Amino acid sequence: MRFTQRKSALRIAATAAAAVTAVALAGCSSGAGTGEAAQGGEVSGKITVWTWNAPGDGLKAAIPAFQKLYPDVEIDVQDVGNPAIWEKITTGMAAGGQGLPDVLNIGIDYMGNYVEKFPGQLADLRDFGADALADEFPSGAWKSGSGADGAVYGIPYEVNATGFFYRSDVFEQAGVDIDAIETWDDLLDAGVTIKEKTGVPLFAVDKAATEADSAGLWQLLTALQNSFYFDEKGDITMSGEAGVNSLEIIKRADDLGIVADVQGSWDALLAQLRGENDIAVMPAGGWMAGVMENEAPDMAGNWGVRLPPAVESGGITAAVNGGTYLSIPTSSKNQQTAWEFVNFALGTLEGQKLVYDGGGMFPGFAPMLESEGFAAPSDYFDGQSPNAIFIAELAQDTPVVNYTSDYARALKAYTDAQTRVLLSDADPQKAMDEAADQVAQQTGRTIAD
Amino acid sequence: MNSVLETPLAAPSTRPSDPTPPRRRRRRATGGHPRITPYLFLAPTILLFLAFKLYPYLSAFWTSLTSNIGGAITFVGADNYLRLLRDPLFYTALGNTGIILIVQVPLMLGLAVVLAVAFNSLLLKARAFFRMAYFVPIVMGLVAYGILFGALFNSGPGFVNQVLGSVGIGPIPWLIDPFWAKISIVIAMTWHYTGQSAIIYLAQLQSIPGELYEAAQVDGASAWQRFWNVTIPGLRPALLLTVILSTIGTLQLFDEPYVLTNGGPDNATLTVGMYLYQNGFRYFDFGYASAIGYALTLIIAVISLIQFRLFREKSPKEKKR
Repeated sequence: MRFTQRKSALRIAATAAAAVTAVALAGCSSGAGTGEAAQGGEVSGKITVWTWNAPGDGLKAAIPAFQKLYPDVEIDVQDVGNPAIWEKITTGMAAGGQGLPDVLNIGIDYMGNYVEKFPGQLADLRDFGADALADEFPSGAWKSGSGADGAVYGIPYEVNATGFFYRSDVFEQAGVDIDAIETWDDLLDAGVTIKEKTGVPLFAVDKAATEADSAGLWQLLTALQNSFYFDEKGDITMSGEAGVNSLEIIKRADDLGIVADVQGSWDALLAQLRGENDIAVMPAGGWMAGVMENEAPDMAGNWGVRLPPAVESGGITAAVNGGTYLSIPTSSKNQQTAWEFVNFALGTLEGQKLVYDGGGMFPGFAPMLESEGFAAPSDYFDGQSPNAIFIAELAQDTPVVNYTSDYARALKAYTDAQTRVLLSDADPQKAMDEAADQVAQQTGRTIAD
Repeated sequence: MNSVLETPLAAPSTRPSDPTPPRRRRRRATGGHPRITPYLFLAPTILLFLAFKLYPYLSAFWTSLTSNIGGAITFVGADNYLRLLRDPLFYTALGNTGIILIVQVPLMLGLAVVLAVAFNSLLLKARAFFRMAYFVPIVMGLVAYGILFGALFNSGPGFVNQVLGSVGIGPIPWLIDPFWAKISIVIAMTWHYTGQSAIIYLAQLQSIPGELYEAAQVDGASAWQRFWNVTIPGLRPALLLTVILSTIGTLQLFDEPYVLTNGGPDNATLTVGMYLYQNGFRYFDFGYASAIGYALTLIIAVISLIQFRLFREKSPKEKKR
C-alpha cells in the first residue's frame, strides 16, 4: 500500500526530525497554521493542504480550474512526505488542532485511529452536504471514511483494488499458462515449475521486516477468505482459520524454496519492477500499474495484470488494498473554502479528471470510472487494461474492512509472527495465537471464537 | 546596575573607616541589594527550567496516569504501570537493552582506554589526526549514520560482507537475523561513541603526574605493571564518569535500532526507547508511553546509584575511613 510504505530508514529518520520540529512548533506557536480566515462561509482566502508526492501532484493539477471558479482563493499544496505526515497530524491533533492545515490527506488505516483517539478534530462533512456524494463512491470505501453514527469524516480520494501483476515473459519461458491458474495451490505448483525452468522465485517477502511491515501478502490472502485482523465488532480475528491458513500458504511457498527474501525498501521494489531482481508475480495495490509505467518503462510488454487467484476454488478473487481520504480538521478557520476545493477535486468529473491525470491515483468516483477512455487498453500491459480489472474487482462484493484504532498494533504483531515462522521455523498456528494474545493484552480487545 | 553604583557605601573611600557589622546592617537597610536581585539574575534559568524541564516532567507524569478511552483523556491511576508489569514485550525490550548494555559498554570502554593510552603515547606520529579521526563519529548526524551503516551492513551486497567474502567468510545476515542484528547494533554503537570516551580518558591521563611512572620504573615495574598500577587507578574518576554516562546512554538506546533495524527482526533489537516511541507515535498511546518513560527513569536512577556505590567503595581512601 502506497500510504503505509516505510520506504527506508532515511525517510523514517526524516520523520523523526519532522516530528520533533512539529512538537516544538506546536508548543511554541499560538496561532494555527491555517491561512487567512474567510468571513461567514465565504469562499475566499488561502487554504493549505497536507499530502505527499504523487497525490499532491494530482491535487495541484486541479488548482487552476478551481481558481477560475473562485479567483480569490489561494491554495498551498504541501508535500509533507509519507510516512512523516502521520506523525505530524498526530502531533497537531494531540495539541488540540494547533498547526494543522485546512485539508488533510489521510490513509484508510489511520482514519479510524484519528477519529477514535481525537474525537471532534475532524469536521463532519455532512454539514457541507457531503452525504449527497455517498452514492457516487463504492460503499465499502465510503463507510471506512465515516463514523459509526454516519458522520462523514473523509471523501475517498484513492480507492485501491489489488493488482495481481505477473511477468509474462517469465511465465512464457517456463511454459506455464497464467490464465489457467485458479487457486493459490495452482500458483505454488506453477512457482515450483518456474523456479526449476528459469531460476526465478515466485514472489518476494521481506522476512525480517526491518524496513517495512511486510504484511501485504497475508492481508491479501486473508481478504480473499473474507477475513482481516478484526471483525466488524472490532474483535480480533487474525488467529482464526483464515488468518492461519494464509500464513501457512506463505510458509509452504517458503519451504518449497520459491520465495525471495528481499528487504522492503523502495529501491528493492524498483529493482523488481525493472527486472534487475527477477520475481514471477507481485500482488500490490492498483497504483503499482502507474509506478511500473513510470519507473520501469523498458519492461513494457513484460508485465501483465489479472485478478488474484482464489484461495478456495471458486472463492473471492477481489480484495481492496487500502485507500486515502481528504478530510477537513475542525481547527481550520476556512472550512467552507476547504470543502469547496475537496468537493471540486473529488466530487466533480472535471476535477477528478484533472486530479487523475496529474497524480494517477485510482479514483472511486463512479462517473470517473465510467467515463470514456478510463478503462482503455494499455500499451504497457500489452493491450490489457489494468483499470478495467480494478473496476471489476471493486464491483465484486468485497467486505468492509474494519481497521479499528488498533490496526498498527495488529500489523506489528502479525509481522513479528511471520518473521518467527519464516526465520525461526515457528508453527503458524502457535505464532498467530501469540500475536492475537499480544494484541488482546495491549488493547483489551477480545479474541473472536 | 545603577542601584549598586549609586549606593554611597559602595564608594571605596568610606570603606576603611566603617566597622564591618554596621556596614552589613546598613546595607540591608538601604536596600542597595534587594533580596530579589539574585533571583532576577537567575530568572532566565529558572523560567527555562520551569518551562522546558519541570513542566514536561510533571506533565509526563500526569499523562502516565491517564489513558485515552474512546477519545477522552481519562484518569486511570496506576493502570498503565500495572499493565507494564504484565507486558511481555516490555520485558523483551528490557532484556535486549540489558544484553546490549552488558556486551557493549565494557567492550567500548576497554577499547577507549587502549585508544587513549595510544593517543597519549609519544611514539605515535600524527596524534592530533588520530584523536580527531576517532572523535569525528560523535558529531555525525543520525541520518548520515543510518545511510552509512545501512550500506556497510547490508546483508546482501554490503561492504562488510564483500570484505568478509573475499577472505571466504559469510555472507552474514547482519541486519535481518535476530542474533546478528544485535551484534550490528553493538558494532554501530561502539563505532559511534568510543572516540568520546577515549577523549575523556585522554584528558584524565594527562593529569597523572609523570613522576609516578618514573618512580614505578625505578622500582622495576614492567610496562604492564605500570599500566595496571598507575594508569588505571589514575583513570578512576574518568572511569566512573564514562561508565555511568554510557550506562545511561545505553539504557535510553533509541537511535541505532531506529535507523538500522526498526527494532526487528521479531523484536530482537527492540529497546525500551524504541518501545516507548512505538507506543507514543505509532499507537497514539501517550499514557502508556509516559509510563514506560517513568519506569525507565527509575531503572536508570537505581542502576546509576549502584554503580556510584560500587566505584566509591573500591576506592582505597574510602576504605581507610
